[in-house]
Amino acid sequence: MTLRTLMPEIGVVSLAYLAAFLVTYEILMPVQALFFPEFSSRASLLFLPHGVRVLSAWLLGWRSVLALLPGVIIGFVYFAGAGVLEPSRLAGIAIAVTVPAACFYLLRRLGWDLRPAPGRKPCWICIMIAGLLISFFTSPLTNYALGSGLEDYVAYLIGDVFGLFFLMLILMLVFRLLRRSEPDPAGRHYSGL
Amino acid sequence: MSEISKLTELRKLLLDMEQSMGLQNLSSVERDIYYAASDHATSTGAGTGTGAVKTTTLQEHRLLAQVSRPTFFRGLKSLLGKGYLEPCKESSRGYYIVKTPR
Repeated sequence: MTLRTLMPEIGVVSLAYLAAFLVTYEILMPVQALFFPEFSSRASLLFLPHGVRVLSAWLLGWRSVLALLPGVIIGFVYFAGAGVLEPSRLAGIAIAVTVPAACFYLLRRLGWDLRPAPGRKPCWICIMIAGLLISFFTSPLTNYALGSGLEDYVAYLIGDVFGLFFLMLILMLVFRLLRRSEPDPAGRHYSGL
Repeated sequence: MSEISKLTELRKLLLDMEQSMGLQNLSSVERDIYYAASDHATSTGAGTGTGAVKTTTLQEHRLLAQVSRPTFFRGLKSLLGKGYLEPCKESSRGYYIVKTPR
């Protein structure tokens, strides 16, 4: 594994993370504030970047730590500015990038290997369960690092699970749309897809 | 694993999601043929540049070992019709390419 092969992974994953981050905080959070004005937490109830973390850790394993790092750091800078160098925020960054890969690794050590492999059927429900487990570890650790309250912990958990599900749903619809728009060499239209 | 293979794995995962939600019209045999072809394209695509898979290679795949010959060919024909696979123009008869989103 060389820097030349790592760079595209880092670029794609970090850009995906940032795109999910911006959609979450610039579009979804204002909508959330409209529908739940009494909910004062800064946590998003639909945190799409969790989906990027889970899917990249599933596909890349430990390499996702490096791939996610620039995106996660920029995300923290977006919120904290120069305060990103505070120990609590650095801990938050470390938790965000390492826990997903560590969880997949632990699951594999416990006998539940979810890594993509030839001959292995993919299982989206398994990825959802792994995403929930990752959130179980990430939420309290992030809470502890950033000193947030219990309300935030529950909100992180809900936001992560919904974020993963909706990101996969969005990707599924995008792939479906791409498939439908592909021209058929025989002139047929793939209306059944 | 190459970039395209990661995209293929992601696509397979989301096809599984589509199937669970009843949005996909592939039978279990068609899906297994598609997975087998994707596996082959993943393992050879980066090396050969074409990623074309031969019918006999598909039939020998572990997911399709229990599938009868007529069922296999019905599934293959259906996948061609639905656009998941297409005949390889650069190879002789019996080679197929997995269609990937652009």
